[in-house]
Amino acid sequence: MMTHRRELSVAAAYAALLAALWFIAPSFFQPANLRDVLVAAAPLLVAGVGMTLVILTRQIDISIGSQFAICAVVAGLLAKDGLAMPIAAAGAVAAGVALGALNGALVAAIGLPSIVVTLATMVGLREALRWTTGGEWVQDLPAGFQWIGLGQSAGRAGIVVAAAIVWAVVAWALRHVAAGRAVYATGSDAEAARLAGMRPRLVVFGVFVLMGALTGLAAVLSAIQFIDVQTNAGAGFELRVIAAVVVGGTSIAGGRGSLAGSLVGVLLLATAGPALVFLGAEAHWDRALQGAIVLAAVAIDSVRGARL
Amino acid sequence: MTHERVLAACLGLEIVLFTIIGSNFLTLANAGEIVRASAEVGLLAIALTPVILTGGIDLSVGSLLALCAVVFGIASREAGWPIALAAVAAIATGVAAGSLNAALVSRLGVPPLIVTLGTFSLFRGLAEAATAGVRNYSNFPAGFLFLGQGTIGFFPAQAPVLVMVAVGFWLLVHRTTVGRTLMAIGFSTDGARYAGVPVGRRVGAVYVLSGLCAGVASLLYVARLGQAKADAGTGFELMAITAVVLGGTSIFGGRGSVGGTLLGLATLAVLQNGLRLADLPAELAGVVTAALLLAALGANRLFEGRNRG
Repeated sequence: MMTHRRELSVAAAYAALLAALWFIAPSFFQPANLRDVLVAAAPLLVAGVGMTLVILTRQIDISIGSQFAICAVVAGLLAKDGLAMPIAAAGAVAAGVALGALNGALVAAIGLPSIVVTLATMVGLREALRWTTGGEWVQDLPAGFQWIGLGQSAGRAGIVVAAAIVWAVVAWALRHVAAGRAVYATGSDAEAARLAGMRPRLVVFGVFVLMGALTGLAAVLSAIQFIDVQTNAGAGFELRVIAAVVVGGTSIAGGRGSLAGSLVGVLLLATAGPALVFLGAEAHWDRALQGAIVLAAVAIDSVRGARL
Repeated sequence: MTHERVLAACLGLEIVLFTIIGSNFLTLANAGEIVRASAEVGLLAIALTPVILTGGIDLSVGSLLALCAVVFGIASREAGWPIALAAVAAIATGVAAGSLNAALVSRLGVPPLIVTLGTFSLFRGLAEAATAGVRNYSNFPAGFLFLGQGTIGFFPAQAPVLVMVAVGFWLLVHRTTVGRTLMAIGFSTDGARYAGVPVGRRVGAVYVLSGLCAGVASLLYVARLGQAKADAGTGFELMAITAVVLGGTSIFGGRGSVGGTLLGLATLAVLQNGLRLADLPAELAGVVTAALLLAALGANRLFEGRNRG
């Protein structure tokens, strides 16, 4: 119980928010609105899974916003070229893998600090994308692109289910597969992990590659909700994902945290925005509220003496 | 220092290159333009240097610039305060916000990355809320706009401000014991504590200073653009961090210089300006910046060989 103190407090905070909504604005719980919140949260959750692993290994990746944009554009262009949706989606994920591998190589193989590496790739990739696309959206996509041709309701359900499956699989693997334990060990003390026979550099490379793949998937889940692909997609995405993971209890110093916490963190931040509107506040307080939630979460932790 | 010499050589190369391929690059007027365009980011980067030297970071400076700009706009255009008073309000906002960062980092011990991640959203969010996301303040008096758009002899009006701040920070970091303690804190926080350095106070102070400079930068920004909006300074924090790291300051702290930051800033500013004058796409600046940053890091790793991962 004690080891999950943080996850429990976030869950309690989320429950409090839902309770407030239940009493003040019960219309929030209309199926249509709940569905919208979940669909919006799905890409955030998928990327949040990847980011949790990255932060667990004591690294960070602030380039996923730019990766997101590139993967979305790749998916759009492949679909436009006539490829079937599953292939276009796979292409987007592959693009994410390549970009993640770039980060991973610079951090793990050469040993450069991840915050600066991903700062560089964030700027470089975003500008390279804008240069090659001229800022133009990818339009005139085939009809099968939106909702993968499944239609709106099945498509939406599919998006949420896909995110849930990804979360469940990685959550299970993190606990029960040796590679999962290696992630925690690398973040706790990479040198000790190495001496114990693990390969921390490979682990770090791996989490960046996985981050890229999941960013690609998140981009697909997001892109298929619309009929064209914006080339400035994903702006600010990385900070929202990091905020959700941190609020969910994963320590920025590595080695501590869980996917359960990240799930609650994602739900909390994804609900906070719409909740504002239902509680009668104006939408332009959204960003301030997100920042306040992050600060409150970490400040409370600190005051209670938890190691951040 | 090897790093600074290489960077200076890079800068020299850029200048030569752009003189050849650009039109009207090597003129006094253009040099003034470069200073004018980079003054705000410059202030942020200079103030960010001691923050990063202590092993911290401040992602909120761009958002804080926006908040201070909006406060200035509201104070002078809506509340009708005299410009000088509104300017004081803007700077006070910067100091207050910097103090929030300082309190969370030094008193509560929350990692600076997370604190400033939160305040990055909070500050801009407050700016957006105050302007309902859309309001835009303009019609400032000509005397104020001179600060951003006028010239004093050959120099743009921002130059004296930039020079004063640069000199001030250089003296603080490199010529005072306080500056020395900042480096010590970044090198080894516990070691500094055992050596009697008041770590909490010093760390807190650099964030307050950063906030103050964001406030000053907001005034330059509003004077240059003639308007105060909630989207001011978007992306500035990244450019500032890039300038600092490019200039040789280690992201982990303990090593670096204000001079390096100025060189890094100049390299980036000349790059953007030169590409524009050479009629090359602006995006190329971003790509080259990213490559330079990685090259600088890689070179550092190779030459100094210090393994502080």
